[in-house]
Order: sequence, then C-alpha cells, then structure tokens
Amino acid sequence: MDSITSKRLQRLRIISQFFFIWLFFFLLLKSGGAAIEHLPQTGFFFYIDPLFLWVNVLSGPFLQVFLLALIPLIMTMVFGRFFCGWVCPFGALNQFFTWLGSRRQRRKIPVSRPSLRLKYLLLIILLVASLFASQLLGWLDPLALLTRSSSAALVPGANFLAQHALQSGAQNQGWVGKIVKPLYDFSRRSLLTVRQRTFLQAAAIGLVFFGLLLLNLYRRRFFCNTLCPLGAVYGFMAKYSLLRLPLNENCTNCGACSNHCTYYGSPFQDYLKSECVFCLNCLNDCPFAAIEVRFQLPRSGKRPALDMGRRQILAAAGCGLAAAALPQIGVNKKTKARDFIRPPGAVVEKEFLKKCVRCGACLQACPTNAIQPAVFQAGLEGIWTPVLIPVNGYCEYECVRCTRVCPTNALMPLTLEEKKQFKIGTAVINRSTCYTYADGYNCAVCEEHCPVPEKAIRFREVEVYNFRGKLKKVKQIYVVPDLCIGCGICENVCPRTDAPAIVVGAEEEQRENFL
Amino acid sequence: MKRRTFVKNGVLFSSSILLARPHSAQANPLTAAPVIQVKGESPYEITKRAVLEIGGMGKIISRGDVVMVKPNIGWNRTVEQAACTNPEVLRAVIELAFNAGAKKVVIMDNTCHKAEDCYQRSGIEAMAKKLGAEVRYCDETRLVAHDFKGEYLSKWPVFKDYLEVDKFINVPILKHHGSAGLTIAMKNLYGILGGNRGKLHRDMGENIAELAGGFPGHLVVVDAYRILLRNGPVGGRLSDVEMRKTVIASTHIMHADVTAAVLFGKDPREVEFLQAAHAKKMGEIDITKIPVKSLTI
Repeated sequence: MDSITSKRLQRLRIISQFFFIWLFFFLLLKSGGAAIEHLPQTGFFFYIDPLFLWVNVLSGPFLQVFLLALIPLIMTMVFGRFFCGWVCPFGALNQFFTWLGSRRQRRKIPVSRPSLRLKYLLLIILLVASLFASQLLGWLDPLALLTRSSSAALVPGANFLAQHALQSGAQNQGWVGKIVKPLYDFSRRSLLTVRQRTFLQAAAIGLVFFGLLLLNLYRRRFFCNTLCPLGAVYGFMAKYSLLRLPLNENCTNCGACSNHCTYYGSPFQDYLKSECVFCLNCLNDCPFAAIEVRFQLPRSGKRPALDMGRRQILAAAGCGLAAAALPQIGVNKKTKARDFIRPPGAVVEKEFLKKCVRCGACLQACPTNAIQPAVFQAGLEGIWTPVLIPVNGYCEYECVRCTRVCPTNALMPLTLEEKKQFKIGTAVINRSTCYTYADGYNCAVCEEHCPVPEKAIRFREVEVYNFRGKLKKVKQIYVVPDLCIGCGICENVCPRTDAPAIVVGAEEEQRENFL
Repeated sequence: MKRRTFVKNGVLFSSSILLARPHSAQANPLTAAPVIQVKGESPYEITKRAVLEIGGMGKIISRGDVVMVKPNIGWNRTVEQAACTNPEVLRAVIELAFNAGAKKVVIMDNTCHKAEDCYQRSGIEAMAKKLGAEVRYCDETRLVAHDFKGEYLSKWPVFKDYLEVDKFINVPILKHHGSAGLTIAMKNLYGILGGNRGKLHRDMGENIAELAGGFPGHLVVVDAYRILLRNGPVGGRLSDVEMRKTVIASTHIMHADVTAAVLFGKDPREVEFLQAAHAKKMGEIDITKIPVKSLTI
C-alpha cells in the first residue's frame, strides 16, 4: 500500500482512538453532574463488552441491551482485533504511553511469547472462577479498570492538582494573578468539584492504574498484550478473521515493520492475527510499500498461532477453581453480621457479588461521594465493590444516579419514589457518646438533617442530670427504625470529632428480605 | 464574677465597636427601625413593596457598593417544598440592589446538602445568573477566624467573602426548625460560617443570638411566601407547607425575626434564640413594642 494511504489510515486510527477516549470521559463525567432526567447512556462501553455479556448471562436476568456486545464480537470475525486498536479507550491510553516511551532509541526487546500467552490463561482463570460464585472479571477488564481508576483516582487527582495550581495562581498579586483569577473563578463554577472528592484506596487504585501505564515504557502496550482478558477474547476470535496484512513482492526482509509493532511482531515474520490490533504502524514504517491490507479467507492448513500448551490451560483452569473456592469459604460467608452497607437498589449480597463488575461507574455517579470501593469489608471477592461510607458522604434523598448507571443491575434501577422507600440500613445511636445522653446538652444536628419527611430521627424532652450534676431539660435523640432508610446523613453530620455518635449499619436492610 | 462583668462589658463594647465597622446597619439596635409586613399574591411584588416601605434600597446601598445577598440555599429542595428562599423574592432584592447602584451582587451560602445540588434545585442559581449576580460557591481555603465577641460564640471560621463586601442583605425563608424552634434571619447566618457548625447546636439559642449580634447585616428580607410548618429545616413533604404570601423587611434583624415568629404562630418568648437575644438587649421580644406596618397589595 502506498505511503500516502498508509499515513491516512494510521491517522484515521489515531482520530478514532481520540474520539473514543473523549466519548469515554464525556459519558463518565456526565454521570455525576447531569440532572437525573438527562443522564446519558453512560453504560455504552459496558454494553459492548462481551465479558459483561457473559457476566449477565451467568447472573441473569438477561438484559437485552447486552446483545450489543455481539456486534464487536462478530466484527472481530471480519476485522480482527480492531476493537483493541481503534475503539478501546484504555488501549488508546496504553498506545499513547507506548508512543511517549518510544521517543528515544531503545534496545529492542525480543518478543516473549509466554507474556502474550498470559492473558489467555488469565481469561481462563477468570472464566472458570465466574462459573462458580466468584466474579472477578471486572478487576482486569479494561473498561471496568479504566472507569474505576478514573472515578477513584484520575478525575479526583486531576481535580486536586488543578484546584491547587489555579488557586495559588489566583492568589498572586501581579499579572499572573490577573490572568489566573478569572480562570480559577470560572473553573470553580464549572469544571472543578466544589468539594474535593475523596476515595478509599484512591492511592492503591491509582498506583495500579499508573503502574500499568508506566509498564508501556518497558514493553509496548504491556497491559493489552499481557493481561487484558478482553483482548484475549478478541484475540481468540481474531484467529479466524478475514482482514490480513499480506506482503507483496516489494518486501526486502528489512524488518522495519516491527519497529513500532504493538506486539513486537510484524507481517514479515511471525504475523499473529490474534495479537495484531491493526494499529497500522507497520504500513507506515515500511519503506517499500510492501504491506497490503486485504480481506482473505483463512488459509487451510496450519495457521501461525500462539501455542497455548495443554499443561498451561489445565493449570489455569485449576487456578480458576481455587479462585472460585477460596473466597467462598471465609467466615464472612456464614455470619449474619455485616459491617458495611450497599448503595440503594443493591440486590441480595450473594447475587450482588455475582452481578457487580467492579466497574466503579457508581463511584463517579454518586454526587455526594458516599459510594466507595470496598477494601476488605465485603470479603476477598468484594474488593472494589461499592459500599456506602457515610462519614465521607451521605446517600442523597433526591437522587437515583447510581442505580441508573449500574450496567449489570447489581444496583436495580429505581424510580425516585422507590428509592425514597428503599431501606439500605438503619441508624443506631451510641448513647455513651451522643451529646444528648452522655453530656446532657442539646444537639439534634442529625434530626435536623434527616430527610425522611416524617423524621426517622426525633427527640423527646426529658430532664436529666448533666455532667455538672445539674438537672436540665434536654432534647434526647431517638431513631424510629421503621422509618429510617439508612441514608447516613445523620452519621455524616454528627458533630462529634472522635467517632460519630450515630451510625448506620446493615440492620434490617431491605434487600436481604427478597430471597 | 470577674468574667461575667468582662463578658457583659464585651457585649456592650462590641455593639459600640460595631458602629465603626462596615457591618453595622443599625446604629442603635433599640431605635425604632420599622418592620414592614406585606401580603400579596406575587412574591416579587410584595418584596419590592416591602423594601420600598422601609425607605427604598437607596437608603441602604450606596452607588458602587459590592452587595452580598445571603439567601437560605441550605437544602436540595424545590421552591414548593419551602426549604430554601423563594427565587422570586430574591429576584426583587437583586434587581433593587442593582437599581440602587450596586456594582456587584454576590449570592453565596454554605449549604447543608451538596452545594451544586442546592444551588440548582432551589432555582436560585439560575435566577441569580439571569439577573447578572455572581453566584459563588463556598471555598474552604477562604475561611478566616472572625471574632463575634460573644460569651458562647467568640472566634469562629467565616468565609472571607462575607467580610469583604460593602453591604450584607439577609434573605432567609421562615420555617420550622427542630432544635432551634424556628429558622429565620438570625439562624440564616449559620450559612456564613465554616468549620464544624454542628458544634454550635449546643446552647443554640445563645449562639444564634451572639452570631446575629456580631454580624447584624444591613437589611433583612424574610420570605414567608411559603412556610414550612413541620419537620423543618429540611422538610420535603408538601403537606407541611402552607402559603402565607407574606414578606417581612426590616433593617433590624431581631425585630424582623420576632415579627416573623408571630406570623408563624409562635410566641417569640418561647423561641430560645429570641429569648437569648432579648436578654442580650438586642431588641424587643414583645411584638406590641415593635413598630410593625402591615399592608396587603
């Protein structure tokens, strides 16, 4: 193919990648800010993900929107791993960092086949585990990973840096301040969040994310080649695809085509359709226009392919079984008591762990920053599933955003009216620390904030001896458990600075009454 | 005993010091600043009329002033739920301020719910922006310690924005409040505070009184168009809301509150913070001693 067409095709690929990165962040950022009625279809990238189709098929009930995932799957049969090269926003980020890292002349790392193989084995592990209760696909799925990392680390981190840079600029008395001040005022009104969003494990999630991006400096598109289970799915399908990069007679065996090949292969030697993402760098690198882009029926006979190795496949399946079983035999599976609460609309815990893909879309959608990625609260397999942490934020009474953005209905979609009735837990007063009991003076901040119109938190006026031994009238707080929906605003606003004197626990959470 | 006299003197002194500060609208709180109470169908018209009756906005605002209008935007609630100031009342106040020559009008409140939600849902942000007022969010880096010189409330973090303006107009909504009994103009001043405000719920009456004593503002316009009778301050249920179609205006913050309390149907003597304010000689608690002019348009 001639060099002008090659250049154009490569540009087209880059434009496509930029577009999907933009679309991804547009949808993600919209999910938190937009009015509930105008929430865009934030789940787009999840619905076209075959892995989530698989999760949905396993956990049921089937959501028809996941049939969209068949489109890229079928297209892969024709175009190969175009999704990885042209659509996947995380793939695009990896490509970008690969490009950044490739600026200087580097020692060529010989492609290592076992590293390409690892993602297929990981996919086997995750799929086998998902057949049992353990649903861990979301940990490595690139779309879930990018959504989660963006919500909990990238976006709030960028917000922090921008806020501080602009702020210190705005405080400057000279000309710098004159320029930055309007910029700061503008961004505070529109771009930045009024209050910095904070997340449990923000550092851990962020380090994993930036670590994966940095690994591109070590090997081109490290994550895509080595770890990505979605890439493995597409790689498997692409083996039988029609689009190829055949060589014409101009080829002089110079090997320039592998200079920027994402998997260190080339059409000239060891062309692996399962690994080629059609980035078309090779077309552009070829000095002799020796590479063609053509549809061809798969040739009969032995195709060049990765040798998976029967032993490795069996070992991976065994690992999958272990990954399925081990989290299921912790004591947390038997005990009734639970020290965390889930966002509204959450299904029964057992089902929840099967349905939740740990994508973190709800983290971003939650306007009050109440929804947080779990650490170990929900057990080993519950890592990065959403929990509500009232001390960080409360569940806004007039909001259903998290239930709308959840792609797999782990949080059932609720109407505002349903949500206002949905009991996610119950508030409990700690009488040994609540001011109205322990110290004998008025407070009632929790009562004031309680959003239930009939007030689930009330007070009764009683005469008590306060800490000075004086008889005083005090408005003592109590909770009406039947009215309390567990939104946690009471815990959030309790003025005690050691630990809140009113806390929301999982007691009487509504979802456990369904099954 | 020594401390008590010190505090007493402090209160007396502070009221005299307040004269010299830009935030002292009422030269002497006890002089008969009139309270105007206007009833009518349009919240916009009655607000305009009420301000006109106390002598017009020109009496309060000088040409080129930067004016802070402080509504109650505390909650993520709609106009009908009557938890935040009616935007129509605010429209009148902002227009009058601009007409009186204000260089800039700023709208800002330290909300209880998430700020963006409250600003939007109350309809206040849209209204203020339409009129050309600056809608500002509280910026915690702009907190400064301000001395209210009270016995209960002395130094407390306040947003600088409120201290830097020339004139302060308090535009609260009248509603029920669980622990304070009522929330009107004096309680609305909690919105200028930062920090752990919940702590101020201990001895709330005293704190509210001292807060208003240390920061009386220049004009109070109480929105009593819709009032929340029960389950305040957040409310939410429409059956708790009643139409009173009234606006109260005064340059005397306590007298505005006493009048509003009576309108609500509560004896001001039973409202803790009014009792406390009365005890601090901030004004009359007996409605018959306050010059109230009521009219219906």
